[in-house]
Amino acid sequence: MASRGANVVLSRANRMKTKLQSALSASSLEIEDVSHQHAGHAAVKGSAGETHFNVKIVSPKFEGQSLVKRHRMVYDALAEELQSGLHAISIVAKTPQETGA
Amino acid sequence: MMAKSLSNLLFKGLAGLPATRTSRIMVPGLNYQHGMRYSTTVPNEPDTHDDFKPTNKLESSGLSLKDVVEQDVRQNPVMIYMKGVPDVPQCGFSALAVRVLKLYNVPLSARNILEDAELKSAVKSFSNWPTFPQIFIKGEFIGGSDIILNLHQSGELKEKLNDIAANQKTE
Repeated sequence: MASRGANVVLSRANRMKTKLQSALSASSLEIEDVSHQHAGHAAVKGSAGETHFNVKIVSPKFEGQSLVKRHRMVYDALAEELQSGLHAISIVAKTPQETGA
Repeated sequence: MMAKSLSNLLFKGLAGLPATRTSRIMVPGLNYQHGMRYSTTVPNEPDTHDDFKPTNKLESSGLSLKDVVEQDVRQNPVMIYMKGVPDVPQCGFSALAVRVLKLYNVPLSARNILEDAELKSAVKSFSNWPTFPQIFIKGEFIGGSDIILNLHQSGELKEKLNDIAANQKTE
């Protein structure tokens, strides 16, 4: 959609990428905007479109951390985005070791 | 400020209401046999869909929303705060979480945070977690749909729910 990011300098996905990269020193990071899948979503009506993302992140900082803790680390890095219309992130958070298998 | 105090008033009534149990999922074709134990907590009005029922919010109890959440989590072995209700989730992530939990035949208690902006923020600050659904098992915060799916796949969820499922069978 050409109109989607009109008043946003950088897409949310790009901002998320930068924030996650610097907060968690990700060795691998994939961000997918899946907002279109939630277009009719009750909570999304009226917001600008960039609301739902899939995040796959590999970081050595997840070592020894529970899933809840890992998700919290991702949410913490994205706090500003969550306060500005980001509704949901599906998170896959792994350590380099876990992906090596 | 007006709006704030009005909604505080409105939401006080929540405390008097138990979180909705699986008995709400009385839809033909769904497995609710274990949840039926709880049907006594819900008025037996087959024609009244919960979504359209007045929600008794005006009932006064003096409990804060934080107290309500604490009570929910303490009193319900499996508590989910979600978008929509278990039989009609209004978000794919909430739907996924419910689908996973239903595999275990445990009583599922739920609140629809789309109905209550104040409840929604109370839950968020209680768990310090920004998104929904949010699942609590035996008082422990578990996480959202990704985590519940993960725990399901790893077998950890079975362990966590084992005694709850066992209680269901013996009663």
